[in-house]
Amino acid sequence: MPGWQALYQQLKDKNFEIISVAQDTGGVKDAGQWITAAKPTLTALIDEKHLVSKLYNMVNVPTGVWINEQGMIVRPNEVAFVDDRFKNFTGLDSAPYLNALKDWVEKGDKSQYVMNTDQLRQKLSMLDPNLATASAEFGLGEQLYKAGHPAEAIPHFKEAQRLNPKSWNYKRQAYALGDAKRDYGTTFMDEVNKNGGSKVYYAPPDLPAETTKDTKQHER
Amino acid sequence: MMPARLPVVIIALGLMSTALAAASEIRATVIYDDIATEISPADQQQDQLWITTADLTRATRFELKPQGVCRQELCFPIPKSRKQEFLRKSSGKEWFNLLAFAQLVHQPVAHDEALAVWYFGLRSDQRQVLASLQAPDFSLPDIDGKMHSLSDFRGKKVFLVTWASW
Repeated sequence: MPGWQALYQQLKDKNFEIISVAQDTGGVKDAGQWITAAKPTLTALIDEKHLVSKLYNMVNVPTGVWINEQGMIVRPNEVAFVDDRFKNFTGLDSAPYLNALKDWVEKGDKSQYVMNTDQLRQKLSMLDPNLATASAEFGLGEQLYKAGHPAEAIPHFKEAQRLNPKSWNYKRQAYALGDAKRDYGTTFMDEVNKNGGSKVYYAPPDLPAETTKDTKQHER
Repeated sequence: MMPARLPVVIIALGLMSTALAAASEIRATVIYDDIATEISPADQQQDQLWITTADLTRATRFELKPQGVCRQELCFPIPKSRKQEFLRKSSGKEWFNLLAFAQLVHQPVAHDEALAVWYFGLRSDQRQVLASLQAPDFSLPDIDGKMHSLSDFRGKKVFLVTWASW
């Protein structure tokens, strides 16, 4: 969040807002300290029920979406790193995406990084009914957990993970609420390795190849 | 003899009324739009959850109108030929089958049988918003509990980004 706050400081006078949303079942208890430490002036929200991930079909964090002045999505769900802290793990350079984001803030809908409706639909309209059921199972699990039934929540978290195996949110949030090995017979790293390793853990942002060339000059 | 037996009768009557109360009072929790409401359904099975029309409105903010099941401008007509799947009258109350309605509006339902909790997910009309490329609106609190909506920022470019502590 300090990284996004610094970027916000640079760009906020360009009719631009950053909404940062914590996907944390534990709410303020878990997410609060990070927000307090970052002293944000961007809009920092807490999403105990993973509502944003549910509405936007997000499967991991961090995920970024660009929304234009008319409230339309112009670039959908992609991994969005503000710095290279996790580069050793992910193999992903943060600069190309940040440069694309800055380009959009400057040029708006004329930016080359804005996607056309066909590209957007392809990326967003996931009408697989399993995903909606998975999301309901996850929601039920969260509600049972919060109502003091952590053991009863586990089968519903497992069902969500089974119905939407692409969702790391369902895995990692559930692991964090209990003990991954005891409750799910696995660990985060076991799951990462089972799915091809950390270098494919995030799909890279879908950016044109040439934007990755001139990253050096833009690095902070 | 009689005075000695009286307490036994009283205890037996007491037990009976407790048992009757337990049988008549079926409890369930309906979670709709992520808000939990305790209700007293008439019946709950895999495909039927009969709740009073009063509980329908309390738990879901939908209400029964001549044109269908409505919430503000949103209305879902009930197919005339299938009315009995959705509505029935008994013991002076009108009952509504919330699971038949969920099926009608393509709404996923998750159920915990042991705890009698029913979780209703996003209806297809809510899921379609994304396909229209309109950014789905939401209202969430900041760290001080103050609510903010995405739509508050209409007219600005918004970069929406998630993170988590885990």
